[in-house]
Amino acid sequence: MSTLILKRLGKIWLALILFFLYAPILVMAFMSFNDSQYYQLPFEFSLRWYQDLAGNSEIIAAATRSVLIALITTIIATTLGTAASVALFRFEFKGKRILQVLLFPPIAIPWLITGTAMLIFFFGIGLGRGTPSVIIGHVALALPYVIVVVTARLATFDATLEEAARSLGANSWTVTRRVTLPWITPGIIAGALFAFAVSFDQFVVSYFLSEPGDSTLPVLIYTAIRKGFTPEINAISTIIITISMAVMLIAARFSNFGGER
Amino acid sequence: MAEVAVENVTKRFGTLKALDNVTIDFPDGGFFGLLGPSGSGKTTLLRTIAGFIFTDDGTIRIGSKSVEQIPVEKREIGMMFQNYALFPNMSVADNVGFGLRVRKVSLAEERRRVGEALELVQLGQHSNRKPHQLSGGQRQRVALARAIVTNPRVLLLDEPLSALDKSLRVDMQIELKRIQREIGITTIFVTHDQEEALTLSDKIGILRAGRMVQAGPPREVYNNPTDVFTASFLGEANILEGAVDGNSLRLTDGDAIPIPKGLKTGATFAVRPENISITTEEPTERDTPKIQARLKQRVFAGAMATCILDRNGSTFKVISRDRDLPQLPEGGPVWLSWEPEHTITIPN
Amino acid sequence: MSNMLVKQDRLRIFGLLSPAYLWLTVAIFLPLSAMFYFSFLSEVPFGDAEWNFTTDNYRAFFETPTYAILLWKSIKLGLMVTLTSVLIGFPCAYVLAKTIQGRSREALFLLVILPFWSNSLVRIFSWAIVLRGNGVLDRTLNAILPFELDINLMFSTPAIVIGLVHSYLPYVILTAYLALQAIDDSLIDAARSMGAGKITILRRIILPLSLPGLLAGAVLIFVPVVGSFMEPRILGGRVGTYYGTVIEDQFVAVFNWPLGAALSFILLAVVLVILALASPILRKAQT
Repeated sequence: MSTLILKRLGKIWLALILFFLYAPILVMAFMSFNDSQYYQLPFEFSLRWYQDLAGNSEIIAAATRSVLIALITTIIATTLGTAASVALFRFEFKGKRILQVLLFPPIAIPWLITGTAMLIFFFGIGLGRGTPSVIIGHVALALPYVIVVVTARLATFDATLEEAARSLGANSWTVTRRVTLPWITPGIIAGALFAFAVSFDQFVVSYFLSEPGDSTLPVLIYTAIRKGFTPEINAISTIIITISMAVMLIAARFSNFGGER
Repeated sequence: MAEVAVENVTKRFGTLKALDNVTIDFPDGGFFGLLGPSGSGKTTLLRTIAGFIFTDDGTIRIGSKSVEQIPVEKREIGMMFQNYALFPNMSVADNVGFGLRVRKVSLAEERRRVGEALELVQLGQHSNRKPHQLSGGQRQRVALARAIVTNPRVLLLDEPLSALDKSLRVDMQIELKRIQREIGITTIFVTHDQEEALTLSDKIGILRAGRMVQAGPPREVYNNPTDVFTASFLGEANILEGAVDGNSLRLTDGDAIPIPKGLKTGATFAVRPENISITTEEPTERDTPKIQARLKQRVFAGAMATCILDRNGSTFKVISRDRDLPQLPEGGPVWLSWEPEHTITIPN
Repeated sequence: MSNMLVKQDRLRIFGLLSPAYLWLTVAIFLPLSAMFYFSFLSEVPFGDAEWNFTTDNYRAFFETPTYAILLWKSIKLGLMVTLTSVLIGFPCAYVLAKTIQGRSREALFLLVILPFWSNSLVRIFSWAIVLRGNGVLDRTLNAILPFELDINLMFSTPAIVIGLVHSYLPYVILTAYLALQAIDDSLIDAARSMGAGKITILRRIILPLSLPGLLAGAVLIFVPVVGSFMEPRILGGRVGTYYGTVIEDQFVAVFNWPLGAALSFILLAVVLVILALASPILRKAQT
């Protein structure tokens, strides 16, 4: 029957899309374990590119910097973002709608524009390029994501639970600590993981804001790619993509991203 | 318009038999209710008649034509859905005209027939509104107009009134019946509301676990249930069990009540709560069935009152007009009695 | 409601919101204003440089056809990537939302969305490995096909399109999936019961109802693609000069920041116009 054929075709289409999405990444990962420098086949398993990485102090320094920046970004963005979410969710006040709309520019404006604008401004106020500028930029990009994710979690909160706690004699602080916070914790964790991913994977803004020779991992990779491909880039790229996918998988478990839980 | 006949229909979902050898016929022009608890297969049966689901076994005829192999879009049915399923992107007129457009009816003809259908459901003036601008009752009317505008051979309604609140529901029951009578279309509906089924139907079918337990005119099924399930599902029933001893039933605790003559042993008996009277004195008539019980609770509900009574561990329920009840001592012994013809015999 | 707020609540709201919004002001809104100011300067106003206010930078855009041509080229690239993504993403979203049931749907959906949240630079790089001459695609196809075929997609417009579609496809799948999932299955049942075939149902029910979601996805793809520079650089080589790469050059190679600022601002204006046009639809998609 035609319905069955259509369904079969649909599933094949989905499989093709998944192939399209994952094949290049898998090829890259595969090649990072190939001994040949020029991606020659037959494939010969080797860890030499990973060993080379371990000895490359520039890459290690950039990787450490990236992780550090991502951690600091995560802490700041999650704290500020959670506080803002609670206010936006809990209270009705004038201008709330505008504040919510103001969350969109960091997401919707191309990073090229935001990045160059930050570069100009930070030079204008004398801060210049460097890790502090990168962190300021990353936090701004991560904040809207944290606020959106935490607010979504808050929206599932049953307000009568707070009323129930209050009717049982709990004061406002106890209610927040014992009832509200435990409920939104998964949202906060998911928001934090999103913030980490936004910062750790961020290239454009870092590119304009980091000091040459003091750059983050993606910026270093970009510079290296433009000089020519080496299996070493494959190896570090494989590591990066594994980390960021793992972070997102965990985030997906904590938010109800991708279905009701 | 046509007669619908379901014969020996079976449908499995995996290992579950959703319909198990179901047979029932729906004569032309009648209004039929399918009733059963959730999971009984009533919706599956309706969707099988509609053609969303194909049978594993058995035949379905609409008119003289066998339709098991015909998909829903070719079956010429009209269907109304529980949530009405009005297309939110279309106006009322476009919703109602959808089936006509599909059939490539001319625009003038479409406009005329949509107008007629909307008149029939008394919504003529709202044809340009979008569904979200209508009240629940109005949406229901649009859904009905949409289901009948193509002159289908049978009208299928899936829990048609369950989304309405109680007062509106009663109005719509009357309205639905009026429209059905006016166009004379064979109508089958699914409901879990027994009162609705009894009010609307010319004939009801009661399903349980995929089987058609009993089918017939509402009064007949209500008064002569063929098993304990039907007796207690359709209305409420106080079940009496014991052994038949001549012309009386000897209850398990030793008391005897008179029963109709000529019954075999092994039958179960039931009495509807509304048929029982409560008195503080023992009724004197000789052949009146009567038993003694203790009043546990009397629940006042406006005109009516419900009494919950206990008799040696088994619970009895009595419903009567509140003002017909005497002053009753809570916890005190009372007599329950009823007319002999109100003893319902359930053949095992 | 708002006039009933007590003073304590006002303080609380202010305390909770001000850190986040102060941060956004310093890192987003002040920089955008600074860039606007900068775009009217003749020179970078640092050190001893002489500078004055001028509209030369904007005039350059209108007088030198190169910029307008490149902006148009970027917009065309945006349209191409958006259209391709919508065409291949919509059926995929449909299969996920309406054909696949139960737990495997959740897992597959996550699998489709996952690459989107991984490093885009690395994913573009992975395409560079696959597409280059004598690369994996070339050798695989030559191993399968009986005749010699020289495919060198690397450093071409198709390579850029492939890379960008790969980057942004999950966006449209996500928004279309959410829109399709919101369509009650009983609407489809109802259309069928009235005799509608598959094409009628697609054309008159599913497409109109998922249109807001599809358009939201299209805007979310189009906007960043118009401003892309890293993807054309890596995958486009010499043909990879676009409006975005010119802006990049002004900041990292030519150091003509005022011109870069003006070009960025023109791009921002284009983006804002598109967002403004789409906002009624986007708002509809949200609800």
